[in-house]
Amino acid sequence: MRWHKGLAALTAAGSVALTAAACGGGQVRGTQSTPQAGSAGGAANATFVYVPNLDVVTDWDPATSYSNEIIAMENIYESLTRYDPQAKKAEPRLATSWTSSGDGKTWTFTLRPGATFHTGKPVDAAAVKASVERTKKEAGGPAYIWDSVQSVKAVNPTTVEFKLKYATPLDLVASSDYGAYVYDTTAAADLKKWFGEGHDAGSGPYTVDTWQKGRETELTLKAFDGYWGGWSGSRYKRVEFRVTPELTTAWQLLQRGEVNFVQRLNPQLFAQAGGQGAQTSQTPSFQNLLALFNTESGPLKDVRLRKAVQKAIDYDGLVAALKGSGVKASGLVPEGLLGHTPGRDPVQDLAGAESLLKEAGYGPGGKRLTLTMTYAQGDGDQQLLATLLGSALDKLNVKLEAKPLQWNTQWDQGKSPDASKRQDIFVMYWYPDYADAYSWFVNVFRGSDKPSFNLSYLKDAEVDSEIDSLPSLTATDTGAAEKAYADLQNRIIDERAAVAVLFTQNYQRAYAKGVQGYTDNPAYPNVVFVHDLTAGA
Amino acid sequence: MTAVVLRRTPLRRLGDLARADVLAAAGLVILVLIVLAALLAPWLAPFPDDGGAATHPAEALLPPGAGHWFGTDQVGRDVLSRVLYGARTSLFIAAAVLVVSAVAGVALGVVAGYAGGWARDVIMRVTDVFLAFPALLLSLALAVVLQPSVTTVIVAIAVTWWPWYARLTSSVAASVANRGFVDSARCLGVPAPVIVFRHVLPNSLTPVLVQLSLDGGGVILTAAALSYLGLGAHEPTAEWGLMVEQGQTLFTTDWWVVTFPGLAILVTAFAFNVLGEGLRAALDPHRRPR
Amino acid sequence: MIRYLAHRLGQAALVVAGVIALTFVVTRLVPGDPAVAYAGPKASAAELAAARARFGLDDAPPVQLLNYVRDLFSGDWGTSLHTRQPVAHDLATAFPASLELVGTALIMAVVVGIPLGGLAARYRGRGPDLTVRVSSVLAVSVPVFWLALAVQTVFASNLAWFPVAGEYDNALDTTSPLHVYTNITVVDAAITGNWPILASTLGHLVLPALVVAAYPAGLIAQMTRAALIEEAGQDHTRLARALGFGETSVLTRFALRPALNPVLSLIALVFAYAVVNGFLVEAVFNWPGLGRYAADSIRSLDTPAIAGVTLLVALLYVLANLVVDLLHGVIDPRARTR
Repeated sequence: MRWHKGLAALTAAGSVALTAAACGGGQVRGTQSTPQAGSAGGAANATFVYVPNLDVVTDWDPATSYSNEIIAMENIYESLTRYDPQAKKAEPRLATSWTSSGDGKTWTFTLRPGATFHTGKPVDAAAVKASVERTKKEAGGPAYIWDSVQSVKAVNPTTVEFKLKYATPLDLVASSDYGAYVYDTTAAADLKKWFGEGHDAGSGPYTVDTWQKGRETELTLKAFDGYWGGWSGSRYKRVEFRVTPELTTAWQLLQRGEVNFVQRLNPQLFAQAGGQGAQTSQTPSFQNLLALFNTESGPLKDVRLRKAVQKAIDYDGLVAALKGSGVKASGLVPEGLLGHTPGRDPVQDLAGAESLLKEAGYGPGGKRLTLTMTYAQGDGDQQLLATLLGSALDKLNVKLEAKPLQWNTQWDQGKSPDASKRQDIFVMYWYPDYADAYSWFVNVFRGSDKPSFNLSYLKDAEVDSEIDSLPSLTATDTGAAEKAYADLQNRIIDERAAVAVLFTQNYQRAYAKGVQGYTDNPAYPNVVFVHDLTAGA
Repeated sequence: MTAVVLRRTPLRRLGDLARADVLAAAGLVILVLIVLAALLAPWLAPFPDDGGAATHPAEALLPPGAGHWFGTDQVGRDVLSRVLYGARTSLFIAAAVLVVSAVAGVALGVVAGYAGGWARDVIMRVTDVFLAFPALLLSLALAVVLQPSVTTVIVAIAVTWWPWYARLTSSVAASVANRGFVDSARCLGVPAPVIVFRHVLPNSLTPVLVQLSLDGGGVILTAAALSYLGLGAHEPTAEWGLMVEQGQTLFTTDWWVVTFPGLAILVTAFAFNVLGEGLRAALDPHRRPR
Repeated sequence: MIRYLAHRLGQAALVVAGVIALTFVVTRLVPGDPAVAYAGPKASAAELAAARARFGLDDAPPVQLLNYVRDLFSGDWGTSLHTRQPVAHDLATAFPASLELVGTALIMAVVVGIPLGGLAARYRGRGPDLTVRVSSVLAVSVPVFWLALAVQTVFASNLAWFPVAGEYDNALDTTSPLHVYTNITVVDAAITGNWPILASTLGHLVLPALVVAAYPAGLIAQMTRAALIEEAGQDHTRLARALGFGETSVLTRFALRPALNPVLSLIALVFAYAVVNGFLVEAVFNWPGLGRYAADSIRSLDTPAIAGVTLLVALLYVLANLVVDLLHGVIDPRARTR
């Protein structure tokens, strides 16, 4: 059981209990629709089988969904825009075009004509307004993405206008992987309960066919015939999610042709998959692993020691040991996002680390330094980091006490009001909720008296004010935003040494030969946009 | 049973056992070898540093060969060295668990058996509750609650193991307390602690020793299972269950990372079990599942 | 007999009360805020407060214990933090699958263990005896999680004789849907005549059941051997021998019946143990039972679910003990006075 990695550990939950699917006597297990007798159409009626390694759905409500179900939701629901990591900007989805006022505080979207919800209602400006307002009102985990929105107005059926409290890149917000779905709020009287029973009210290419929590084949989706994108060519008409926690099992299922797509393999199996006829893709994600240094208390309050630890880390050794499941990170912002700064790759410098330690009275021959580090229990990559960092620091007469903890224990300790109970190094993954690097800075490095995710406890007024200027710069002047991002990274990583960016995770996917047209979009972690694919021989 | 046992020294009995039971003798020999391997790990291990914090990412996942008899793991550590150092961890855990649970269990058992009355009732009802959980289950629940570490494993297993010793000792103590010579000692005014130390404890010793050797295997397996679930020892400690956990996704591609630590658990548990079986067969025909 | 029954039931009730209290204490010791586990890592303060209120986490501990006991008896075992469904419902779906696996394993264990024990007793001290003793101790000494991985790699991955994981081939849900009555797939498939699913489930059962069966098979073989050897020394078997019956028929015709009594009670007791051992096996073979559920619960620090699994298995164990004792009381009057 090599349990969860990164994202899964963080994205543990949404916020609403689902009512149980009844399990009385004589119920038919599996699909409720009549099996398509003699699906002679071959590829035309093909099923796309996706293998996730965790349960798929915890929250069916598009307003509050904030977890693994994204892999299904993005095929059922649509947002106004979709982020394109190559172009580093939002592309049309339900909206075909949009404009913003010069101050970045008024945004007008033009909707795609002819799009309808699975309920039969048209996707119009009123529906967009109602969705955004309901999502805000439900106040679930992702609702904050709309925080800047003052009011939404349906100007006419195909035009919707957002008035903002402050300048924000709303086209990026609208491409968010969570909380940006447009849905039919009139689908049922008690919408939350209705969603909880496994119904959907989206406009996407697929709609829920069967859902059985806890089953191996947890969820199946079927084609929505009225989809605006049409069903030309040999597209997959059904999607099946088959939960398989064991990586080896997942790989064997793919090898036998029982499934089409495996979300994650380990590097060894991934290499094997490439050599044995499966297609593979390796894409850097928007998720990186951070080691946050305690800048407020404990030995690392001394900036020299923080810099020494930064230099002691064997970044290349770590990436080598990850065998392709991670790449060296250049700064805090991953590639594909505005604010990414090339040429910042860190390198190990043991001599430099030693002289900094000596300066502070530690190091070989000096006092023995003991540092505590907390990381996610069950995460193989973080465990590798703990092993390698412990090994490097040991040579410098520094003892690393690395403790694997469950997330809420680790987090509670990090937030402890008693500073002496906090750790020296906090290891965690970070990823943005929508394709905007602002997420790292405002959540992880903006000062606050009660720590939440700013677990380096950095309090720097200059850094804070520069962070606060980011949204409006992004909305109005991307060139200036780029400069602000570069400057902030200099301050946070180099001057204050509050963090070491260990690596950016790589997504390693393996999929069957016949699957054509797959590209991995890191803005939507683990999502396969099945409608974009075609089933080949 | 105790009367027979009392006449012979433990050493003599071991000698008899070796002649009568080849398997038990083999278990004893294997166990001695494992203890030696654990004690001498720093000298026996080809790469002693690999048992600790050292790593060599450049030499990761080398198959077994002349340089590394058992191959290397994901960060290039010599698997043989780590298996040897792992013996230290496993035997330490087993010893600590058995000592803690035997001391606690024997103390409570003596009180229950010798004092009788309500003290006995309370203690026995409490052991009933603990014995209502299969050992691994309660350890598992406790280990989830505590933070993962070797200490956690020891505490979690000891909590589920002591009642067996309490039960065992209480029945021995109760039978001894009712014998004539103890009664006369009591009448002569010998204080209770002296009676307990002179008469009750020595009589409990043999069944407790048998039980200890029988439980060694169970404790090793439970500890390995907890570490395998990520609830026990953690990096860079060399621990067999943890090594299996770390290597399990490599089984099809790099079999040696998983195979050798697993075999080490098997052999150690086997040695404890055959030795315990032999001792029990010689001394006590009853058995119970754990 | 009535007094014995009342006494034994009273004792069991006391144990159950203790088990509930202990489970409660253990789950209250869980570090970190259960509300965080429920509401998610990026939850707002308001959501956390709502979650705390929902689970009554702000009440005093004695009040929480009272509420816990009241809820347990009204069938409300709490709501799982990770599946977000009632724990009782989750257990009701997961337990039958475990029962299927452990039941099959115990059948295998009996079928293999008793003859091997007999073989060892028949040839006591000779080659077959030594072989059986060594292999039965090996069977109880092997770490199940490792055996599961090894067996899966060799027989499913490399040789492809058996399916790698899962309960049955999921494609069958479309081609021959299963009507669920008991939630035990083999049983449902057999009574509804769903042969494709029955065949597929049996195929998927072989490897995990073999691994779970190792421990009980070893124990049963040892126990049968010991009981047979003991019985072989009794008066009635000696009489049979004196009447000219051969050694093999003495063992099988006269000694086996009485020797099976302790073996049968052993099976009842080993059942709960096998369920827990099965936890580790289910996780490897992705068997949709209690073990996989427990593994998921541990991963997400899902307190109500962990408490539910712990309680269920402990109650099962108490029940098995009770049944064994009562049966003994019926069969053997001496047991009542103990």
